[in-house]
Amino acid sequence: MTGLDEFFDYVNSLGAERFTRIFWFFVFFELFRYMVIDLVVLTIAKILKVLNRKKTQEALNRFYLEQPLVSIIIPGKNEGKHIFKLVKSLREQNYKNVEIIVVDDGSDDDTPTIGRDMERNGFIDKFVRNEFRGGKASAANLALRLTNGKFIVHLDADCSYNYDAIQQIILPFYMDSKIGGVGGNVMVRNYKKSLAATLQAIEYYDTISIGRVVVSQLGIYRIISGAFGAFRADAMSQIQGWDIGPGLDGDISVKIRKMGYKVKFASDAVCLTNAPDTFRKLAKQRLRWDKSLIRFRVRKHRDVFYPSQHFNFSSFFSFLENITYNIVLNVKWYIYFIDMVFNFPHELSFILTMNFFLYTCTNYFKFLVFSLYRTEKNTSISYFLAYIPLMVIYFGYYLRIVRSIAYIQEFFFKKSYDDPWNPPKTSKYAKELGL
Amino acid sequence: MALENVKINASSGTIEYLNTKYIYVSQSRDLKIDRSVSYAGIIIDGKNLDFTKMVVKRIRGNQNSEIYLKPIIILNGNAHRDVFIKNLIDGVIFSFDQIPLINEHVSEINNLSKEITIINSISFEAMIVSKLLYFMFTRNLKMLEPVPYALSNTNYSFPFLACNFSDFEEFQVLEMLEIATQEGLFKHKFLDRIYLCSNCKSSHLSFREACPKCGSSHTDTFDIVHHFPCAYVGPITDFTNDIDDQLNCPKCSKKLKHIGVDYDKPSVLHQCKNCDNRFQDFHVKAKCMSCTFDNPVETLVDKEINEYTLTKKGESYALQGYVSTPKDIEDIIGTVKFDTFKTVCRYEVERLRQTEGSSNIVAINIVNAGQFYAKVGSNAQQMLLKDLVGEIRSSIRSSDMITFYSSSVILVTMFEIPTKISQRIMDDVLKLLEKLIQNNFKDLVIEIKSNVHQLNYNLSSELQINQLIGM
Repeated sequence: MTGLDEFFDYVNSLGAERFTRIFWFFVFFELFRYMVIDLVVLTIAKILKVLNRKKTQEALNRFYLEQPLVSIIIPGKNEGKHIFKLVKSLREQNYKNVEIIVVDDGSDDDTPTIGRDMERNGFIDKFVRNEFRGGKASAANLALRLTNGKFIVHLDADCSYNYDAIQQIILPFYMDSKIGGVGGNVMVRNYKKSLAATLQAIEYYDTISIGRVVVSQLGIYRIISGAFGAFRADAMSQIQGWDIGPGLDGDISVKIRKMGYKVKFASDAVCLTNAPDTFRKLAKQRLRWDKSLIRFRVRKHRDVFYPSQHFNFSSFFSFLENITYNIVLNVKWYIYFIDMVFNFPHELSFILTMNFFLYTCTNYFKFLVFSLYRTEKNTSISYFLAYIPLMVIYFGYYLRIVRSIAYIQEFFFKKSYDDPWNPPKTSKYAKELGL
Repeated sequence: MALENVKINASSGTIEYLNTKYIYVSQSRDLKIDRSVSYAGIIIDGKNLDFTKMVVKRIRGNQNSEIYLKPIIILNGNAHRDVFIKNLIDGVIFSFDQIPLINEHVSEINNLSKEITIINSISFEAMIVSKLLYFMFTRNLKMLEPVPYALSNTNYSFPFLACNFSDFEEFQVLEMLEIATQEGLFKHKFLDRIYLCSNCKSSHLSFREACPKCGSSHTDTFDIVHHFPCAYVGPITDFTNDIDDQLNCPKCSKKLKHIGVDYDKPSVLHQCKNCDNRFQDFHVKAKCMSCTFDNPVETLVDKEINEYTLTKKGESYALQGYVSTPKDIEDIIGTVKFDTFKTVCRYEVERLRQTEGSSNIVAINIVNAGQFYAKVGSNAQQMLLKDLVGEIRSSIRSSDMITFYSSSVILVTMFEIPTKISQRIMDDVLKLLEKLIQNNFKDLVIEIKSNVHQLNYNLSSELQINQLIGM
């Protein structure tokens, strides 16, 4: 009898009850939350999009009639090498009434020369340099002070944008006056560079992009990407800009929600970014992201759960969903693992194989079916099909382990305050004040 | 020296000393420039600087060589201390009885003036260069130095040349000197660099820092403060209050304690009071004080200020006159630039090295061009040169090239043709040219020579052209 025959015999021997008992984690959490709910909400979103076509067109007409000034701010350190490419993609935009402000946060390369040259030649409207590095938040806040626009668009210098990206990210503001911030749809430009980049491209396609359409539709969208986010200038003035990072994009989304504004995701506003091309770099990035979840959701903004003058249900559920599906489920997965080791020690190899099979099938199903709901993609999806089976290891093990490490580091040791992403002079105070 | 030898005729405004007559100009009504032709020199009353300058400029700026080369003497006053005037006059006396002191110098200038063959130049540029060369020759000047002069529109003045232009056109002096230098009449040595308004070419500029948006220099400057704990960034005024002199963060309300510890000042911003634009880097602008145009400094016209030394070629042109600039003769249809001609000859020598064929270059020289140009106007000169080129072109193959080395020397290529045949063709051309001149300029005798040179591939083309021109 071969191993395969044994596996099929094992699967045949499972009744519905036993299947649910053994694969409860998959059935109740992964299948239900990330496939059934996603599919239902995506369908609703699709139908609403069709129904709202007239409303969308009217909003577009209002937008072009008003022609508001859009201030594009690009804060960063040592980003000079990217600026020209970025500005080139911005000059191609179909919406032209923009001002581009670049803030150099104490670069030690030739960014000042490049920036000043571009300002002098009219490629950008303002170039401002901080002689001492103050961190991304302070650079963004300085840029914010120099803006004159009705809307502020925050970009990362190493990204490029679809020709209608600015129009698409501003449009939601004209569809609902309560919207205070809109997140753009970030896709991976360098998906062919390495396996790590390819797997991230799939992740961005499904979990991030599709996931954001779903949470946005549910009204619990929580992170306006730092690479491409738009804000109402008056809302930014009320919240007085960004606070210290890392994770300042998630933080500012919460601050906007707390002021009573809605936060939306614009899937048609496409931005291409370079993803980390090695698993080591990716781990560093994800450790930073995951630590900020604890720091901002669990600590800094825990008042979202308490009744207060800023309490609102969308923020409450947004946090609840975020914490449940990231922190609680992460812990639950370990519980599931222990459950299997202790209660089904002789079936472990079959359980692992079956889980791999179930997740892979689900991933293929989601990847293909969700394609019907994607309005934008930057390459043919067929390229990724061969890599889908690896997503089980990528999601189920690699990212889960990284996330677990991040949670432990932040929960017990507040490691995010030691992250070199932010200068120590600012992190020190943020830690003292619990920001 | 005795005053009795100096005769002053108050009614006619003339002074005579040993048969040498001077015209005396002390007021505007005395200024009848044409009268000065028959006098040895002009004595100007130098009490009034503006008056003196006006008279001197009118004399030196005149087109008639018998007027602009006339010796000028300043009597009395301080006008000669003005650097502009100082460079245009030939002497200073403090009373008429000092005339004997300058008389010899005046005679010397007049004698040198007689040695010059005054010709009519084809273009204005050539005429100005000729004037300069004549002036330098008659004053024994070998060097032309710029004078720092605040009243000049270019801040540095070449006084003799400046007399030929209005204040607003003075920048053209530098262009004249560029032409003369390119022609090899002067060598130059760098002294300084000036910047001119892109609109009116004046050098009277006011440099200042201005708002990049509206160009106003009415601005405020303030420090930007970064509060570390909350990442608030704003001007220092955001942190001050009316009650005490403490600094408080408007975002988190915390007191700012210690620069470098809980806050810093990472940059400086400027705010325009005219348009409210906030910026970090000023645009440097240069406002022209002559025409009020506000120039971005990148658009200013920069010019070198050099001192010029007359070359041997320049000295010889000072005697025979400078008929035309290269640009004047380049404009004649059917010719190529001299540089192009040299390049073609260089390639031909290279080609001959491979093929060992026979190619020639020919020089046609108008031997008495100076006399001719002195007698006819610039239109006639240009017409002659055009006719000469037309006749030569009709006698040679279309693949051959014609160029002007100067207004009296024409060079022609005659490649891939035996020298004897080239010589024969040239003999025919000379006959045609002589006939042409006889028909058009009946009273003039013009001598034309030609020289055919077979290109030798063992020698450089440059050397062979020079040998040919030497004729």
